[in-house]
Amino acid sequence: MTAVRETDVAVIGAGPAGLSAALAAAQAGVRVTVVDEYPAPGGQFYKQLAAGFRVGNRAQLPYDYTKGDALLARVRAAPIEILNDALVWGSFEPGVLEIKHRGAMGRLRYRAAIVATGACERPAVFPGWDLPGVMTPGGAQTLVKTQRVLPGKRIVLAGSGPFLMPVANTLIQAGAKIVAIYEATTPREWVRHAPRLWGHWARMSEALRYWRAIRGARVPVRFGYMVVRAEGEDALERVVLMRCDRDGNLIPGTEVTEPADTLCAGYGFIPSVQLTHMLGCEHTYHTARGGWVPAHDDAMQTSVAGVFVAGEVAAIGGAHAAMAEGTLAGLHAARTVGRPVSDSAVSGAATGRAQHRAFAELVSDIFAVKPGVLDCITDDTLVCRCEEVTAREIRAAAIAWGANVNFVKGVTRCGMGYCQGRVCGSLLEGLIAQALAVPPDSVDFLHVRAPLKPVTVRDLAALAERD
Amino acid sequence: MNDYSITPGDAITLTVDGSPVEARRGQTIAAALVASGRRTFRETRMNGRPRGLYCGMGVCFDCIVKVGGETVRSCMTPVEDGMRVTLPVQLTRAGAER
Repeated sequence: MTAVRETDVAVIGAGPAGLSAALAAAQAGVRVTVVDEYPAPGGQFYKQLAAGFRVGNRAQLPYDYTKGDALLARVRAAPIEILNDALVWGSFEPGVLEIKHRGAMGRLRYRAAIVATGACERPAVFPGWDLPGVMTPGGAQTLVKTQRVLPGKRIVLAGSGPFLMPVANTLIQAGAKIVAIYEATTPREWVRHAPRLWGHWARMSEALRYWRAIRGARVPVRFGYMVVRAEGEDALERVVLMRCDRDGNLIPGTEVTEPADTLCAGYGFIPSVQLTHMLGCEHTYHTARGGWVPAHDDAMQTSVAGVFVAGEVAAIGGAHAAMAEGTLAGLHAARTVGRPVSDSAVSGAATGRAQHRAFAELVSDIFAVKPGVLDCITDDTLVCRCEEVTAREIRAAAIAWGANVNFVKGVTRCGMGYCQGRVCGSLLEGLIAQALAVPPDSVDFLHVRAPLKPVTVRDLAALAERD
Repeated sequence: MNDYSITPGDAITLTVDGSPVEARRGQTIAAALVASGRRTFRETRMNGRPRGLYCGMGVCFDCIVKVGGETVRSCMTPVEDGMRVTLPVQLTRAGAER
């Protein structure tokens, strides 16, 4: 027997966007159910300590631990149902989500849905990126912040984007040894965007705080470098980097080698759009927003009536934009199910959103992924970690079968494994587009199938006993 | 590590391929493995290559291990006292061992 729940507004994801959306909708008087895959609400931005860990004095915690306290307290005080350890693994009819909640299969019927599934990290790919010891910056941050375990003894941070700074800060505060930070862009490239920083003082002071922590720990920061390979026998021993120009073309003769047991490398984020695809929302390609994103109107409603989006899933933009969007989506979703919502509340959220999105666009322009990153992917480099498919196989399949990621997926199995293309999907788009010299938005996106994340045969068998 | 007055959960013991590994209640299997100094969590199915913790947040499935015959993401699964964890090996080897 599977449990069937009913709600007015289903919110998928309990990060800054989802929690803000839930709060706005609940305050408008509708029933709200939040579904979240993780053990506690907060998402990746407000990562919580592992359950069972005790805090003697919360005031001693670094700001990164407590920055979500106010929002989480407001959410807990509101009449919001939160289902944690709850995976949305499919949707087979409008208005119904298939969920696996604490190991049990169930369904959630909703009148409006707000998809706030966030983003995952855009991988830095080079020979050896599959070696143990190479991980994403967010993975290292999670390990330190929630588990209180350091990822290694000699850590190199590399890739690009503002996210490297808070990760460095978390590692430094925990006492980790960061050998160096290698950022692919250079301050010289940033200069032409500098005038647009005017007015974004809060975000700039945040960056300055992280910068001071990095300088204070005497961690060298080198600009204009990319990782070209990771070396080691059974695990990472050395990171090899090269200087690059503004387009990411590697400059011969600039190789440097850093002995390290841990490399945290990433190029920002990719919107997690698997669920919006499954719900039938139209998607459009926007490089600055992170690739394929669901199209939406000013009310954050997608092409599917009653389905809204908020936060990173709609466009990479950080927690502040996500919260404003969550509020906006929550208010409009409440309206959709028939609750009165004041126009001033809506316009307030819309104004906040516009301001934070302007900053997000500036950041994405400054740290735009350089086309040359694909040149680090040699033919022998693994692209699909799950199905162990190399770049050579992908390039050959693209030439033989044509400019569509789904053809190449079918031929090579790239994107067919456990992660369902979350790690390799954008890479596949880039490699095929490069191999055939066509724009990346012309090669389609990986079609999604249920289950969106793996469930067991036993789980599926339980569905047969339904109703 | 700076502790900021954080006390980890109680000390417990799990076994990894039969050997005891200390962990703290509330931690994930992945955190316990890394804390014990282990970086390779498994071999890949086809090529038998070593893999460890990659995304650390339930996306990539690189850190999968077996608990009681079921495949789980070690970064998403909390440890339990007496838990028996086995580390996956290459398919051909797994076949030979059977």
